[in-house]
Amino acid sequence: MDCKHASTLMHDYFDGDITHEQAVELKGHLQSCSACSIQFQQLEQTEMTLFATLRHTRISAPDGLVSRIMNEIPKQRKQQVWLKVIKKHPALTAAAIFLLVMLFSTLSLMKADNQLIVKVGDLDQVVINGNIVTVPEGSTVTGNLTVENGKAEILGNVEGNLTVIDGSYYQASTAHISGKVKRIDQALDWIWYRISNTFTDVAYR
Amino acid sequence: MDLEEIIVADHFDTRLVKLARKGDQGAFAELVDLYKDKIFHLAYRMLSNRHEAEDIVQETFLRVYKNFHRYDEKQKFSTWIYRIATNLCIDRLRKRKPNYYLDAGMNDQDGVDGYAIIPGDERTPESEYLLSETQAMIHTAIEGLPAKYKSVIVLRYLQELSLQEIGDVLDMPVTTVKTRVHRGREFLRKKLEHKAVF
Repeated sequence: MDCKHASTLMHDYFDGDITHEQAVELKGHLQSCSACSIQFQQLEQTEMTLFATLRHTRISAPDGLVSRIMNEIPKQRKQQVWLKVIKKHPALTAAAIFLLVMLFSTLSLMKADNQLIVKVGDLDQVVINGNIVTVPEGSTVTGNLTVENGKAEILGNVEGNLTVIDGSYYQASTAHISGKVKRIDQALDWIWYRISNTFTDVAYR
Repeated sequence: MDLEEIIVADHFDTRLVKLARKGDQGAFAELVDLYKDKIFHLAYRMLSNRHEAEDIVQETFLRVYKNFHRYDEKQKFSTWIYRIATNLCIDRLRKRKPNYYLDAGMNDQDGVDGYAIIPGDERTPESEYLLSETQAMIHTAIEGLPAKYKSVIVLRYLQELSLQEIGDVLDMPVTTVKTRVHRGREFLRKKLEHKAVF
């Protein structure tokens, strides 16, 4: 064995990476070569000194470093959990937001019309008392009569359609309505009425 | 540490890491507490300067926090954090190379650097840690190592990692690690022989 190979084996030995045969071989060489023997001793001492010294040097991070680090990291990622869900499901989020907006706008439209609304051609032919709209006996309303959020009492004549939205109507035996009578209660009907009304309005203009 | 202790410690690490990844700041603080000294010691040996070592510790943990989503749980947490810290140290060494001729091994004045001579600096001097002459000599010898051997030697003797683990940390094949350990060890042997430590 030459000294170069012996040197490699020495290092392998200190790496803990040597076979028994190689170790025997190395020992044989060390016994016959004083230069390698000295090198081996020195390497052994280097190894031991390094391990022992580094292990026994207590070097610790300065006080306050932990709190400094904790101050620098961004505060509370927890709040962003719902944001993550949103980022993961964009389509679902869009659908949910759409439904929410629709619901609120419909509700607000319905709520806004909570007071009594009367649409009629000649207002002097009807009597309004609280939320009761009365066409007295003997009076004649020409054109359509629409009552929203109220009660319609027809005792006289209506020369047109009668529409009651979210309310009720009473028709006396003396009443005469020449057009159609419509009652709208549900939100969907109401929306449909709104839409068809818009179209007929446009059509008549 | 015996084997059982290591396994328990690893298990503890894994649990803390899992919590910290979910955003648990308490768990993260514990991880910092658990690793700060190890990282500080590593950086101190690599850079021989406590101020820079402090910076490295801080930067390392910030990166850990920011890059938790990239951490592969199959890997040991220690391997990952040592990799971040070592890379930061190597970057620093590379940046200051023009001023410090590490390869020439001329850095024998212990602890003399830009920070140490700032007047009014009340921090502990570099030599405070080094109680004995042997410790000071080892420190100087490691300081004089070329950067690429330094990281390997520090991981081997300070963190007591196996060659395989060093390879994982530095992202290089075990054969390369081996060559570097051999050369580093040989370098240190000659240094210490020269200083008549033996």
